[in-house]
Amino acid sequence: MEPVQTALAILLLPLASATVIALFLRTRGALASWISTGAAGVIAILSLQLILGGARNFPASWEWLKLGDLVISLGIKFDDLAALMLFVVSVVGFLIHVFSLGYMHDDQARARFFGGLSIFMFSMLGIVLADNLFMIFIFWELVGFSSYLLIGHWHEKSSAAEAAKKAFIVNRVGDFGFLLGILMCYWSNGTVNLTELTAMGAANQLALGAAIPLLLFCGAVGKSAQMPLQVWLPDAMEGPTPVSALIHAATMVAAGVYMLCRIHALMVFEALQIIMWVGTITALYAALCAIVQRDIKKVLAYSTLSQLGYMVAAFGLGAGWVSEGVKGGAMDVMRLAPDAAGVGAAMFHLTTHAFFKALLFLAAGSVIIGCHHEQDIFKMGGLWKKMPVTFVTFTIGVLAIIGMPGLAGFFSKDAILYLAMKNDTKVFAVLAFTAVLTAFYMVRMWKLVFLGEARDDHAKHAHETGLSMTLPLVLLAVLSVVGGWSAVFGKLAGSVAHLVPEAEGPVHTTILLVSLVVMTLGAGSALFFYQSAPTDSLEDKSRFAFSGLVWLKESFDRLYNYYVAKIQQRFAMLLNFLEQIFLAGLIIRGFAGFVGLVGYGARAFYTGSLHAYVYWFLLGAVLLWAFATGLL
Amino acid sequence: MIIGLNHYLLISAVLFALGFLGVLLRKNTLVIYMCLELMLIASTVALVAFSHFNDTLDGNVFVFFILTIAAAEVAVGLAIIVALFRQRHTVQVEELNQLKH
Repeated sequence: MEPVQTALAILLLPLASATVIALFLRTRGALASWISTGAAGVIAILSLQLILGGARNFPASWEWLKLGDLVISLGIKFDDLAALMLFVVSVVGFLIHVFSLGYMHDDQARARFFGGLSIFMFSMLGIVLADNLFMIFIFWELVGFSSYLLIGHWHEKSSAAEAAKKAFIVNRVGDFGFLLGILMCYWSNGTVNLTELTAMGAANQLALGAAIPLLLFCGAVGKSAQMPLQVWLPDAMEGPTPVSALIHAATMVAAGVYMLCRIHALMVFEALQIIMWVGTITALYAALCAIVQRDIKKVLAYSTLSQLGYMVAAFGLGAGWVSEGVKGGAMDVMRLAPDAAGVGAAMFHLTTHAFFKALLFLAAGSVIIGCHHEQDIFKMGGLWKKMPVTFVTFTIGVLAIIGMPGLAGFFSKDAILYLAMKNDTKVFAVLAFTAVLTAFYMVRMWKLVFLGEARDDHAKHAHETGLSMTLPLVLLAVLSVVGGWSAVFGKLAGSVAHLVPEAEGPVHTTILLVSLVVMTLGAGSALFFYQSAPTDSLEDKSRFAFSGLVWLKESFDRLYNYYVAKIQQRFAMLLNFLEQIFLAGLIIRGFAGFVGLVGYGARAFYTGSLHAYVYWFLLGAVLLWAFATGLL
Repeated sequence: MIIGLNHYLLISAVLFALGFLGVLLRKNTLVIYMCLELMLIASTVALVAFSHFNDTLDGNVFVFFILTIAAAEVAVGLAIIVALFRQRHTVQVEELNQLKH
């Protein structure tokens, strides 16, 4: 097949699968699950063929809408960046489909679930392959919709239904800024095509300014759950665990970072500074929140938030060293150099994070199934004997995320830390501290879940899960180990891999030492500090620190609740009151009343007597005559 | 006495006035209807006179149209009056006053 046809097949196959399931197979859960998984498998094979085939930047664009000067086209931009993202989405997506076969086997609404997965794959691949911002926006909204659908899969539970609504509404807030950014980009640059924007950026023809990149960044803030719109992601854990792994860890939440890398040409220094700080603060905040979580999936959710903050911070750091080049004018608005290290570091971490976080979520899903749907880590314990495969793979995932040398997370995290050390010491300090916290809460969870004695009947009778669940775990564990090796990542990422900053000489030693110290510090203190007990050791020993962290976690939800209930609701009531008076009262009822009165008067002429009509006719004729002769 | 255009127009005006007064004052629908016809005829008299005295055919052509339309109108109008009489057993206009408001 031609590369264009392959790419189109990759894009349209999941849509076809979703359509077939939605129209014909709503009650045939088994068949639907196999069709959806089969489609995901074919997508993975076609993607590998396309990525390894080496065809890049083939022309593919079709005009879709033409409104005056505005032409909205649908097209495919397949460069090395898209190839890397395509690998992540298709391969991780396929493994999660396989896992879901086992995980969702006894679910009542299996067909709806797998149809949702297929529509999600379609929308996500659309974002990956899109060649202009309008098309990205269309698929952006579609992933939001499929995320809503899948978070609310168990909609009988009110918490799930509300989490779905929350995710959708919070994302709307970010998407509003995103849409404004797209319109503004079109207004000032005359195009939203990514290739044309990059070309214009290289030729210094772009309209400069921080407004466009920051508005576009709003979209990423919503989708990638950055501060202050991070509140939806922890709640989204109400969805089934494979959904959390696929959408809320590996792919959709990373779409924000991917989109930022796509529009890199539009970035200016000030915007990157803001992006960097948003990411850094999110990373720290989420890591602090993760320490006090009891729910195994919530720990992972906050960990995801924290790692997304890492990626966004890495992207923002891509500007720093360029500003050093212009002495005496460091605060000048300036174009970025094409050797954007931030893109490389962010995409590197995105890829490795997709592997090990999907692994961790799926392993957590395996634990949840093994413990008969128990999610509280303080009721688990001693699972390493009963669930050996899950234990080993989960351990690999934990080691990868805390940055054990040789595993995927080590390389990508080092790249980010190196970039931070070079460009901004404050950010470096915060990110290094976050890395300590990451090691701390991950090892805490790992110890409570797998070591010690079983603290609950569910955990005592835990069992290893079936092959359809353990096989994806093993494959993802392999990817979590090798994903950071330059032989593997270089092959997958092509030119993007060359963007990844690499430390050399003494700096390299420093970074290595820092990351080792950070990891040992966090992991060691968690190992010593937490007892294998049914209560939280931190709560027992330092009630103050514990409640402080809980307060920190809840503060945003409290603030938003206060805003919605007390400010927005009252404002809405005021508007409603004004509307009742002016719009509904004066304008609508007023006009209707006036016309009614006129009609009431005019009705008096209509007497039913033929002779009266003749007189009216005479009067009319006289008036007409008077007009015609100019008397009136 | 030479009969000129003004005499014809006078006759036409008198006929028209008779017809109009009839429509205004008579009670019987059939008579009102005949008065309407009278008004039409008055206008045709004027038109023929114009045609004759101006040596053009315009007025005559108009008369043909008016006659055609009057014939069609008579067919419809009389049918309505007959149907009305069958329904209400009267053709007096003061009793035909249900169609109002």
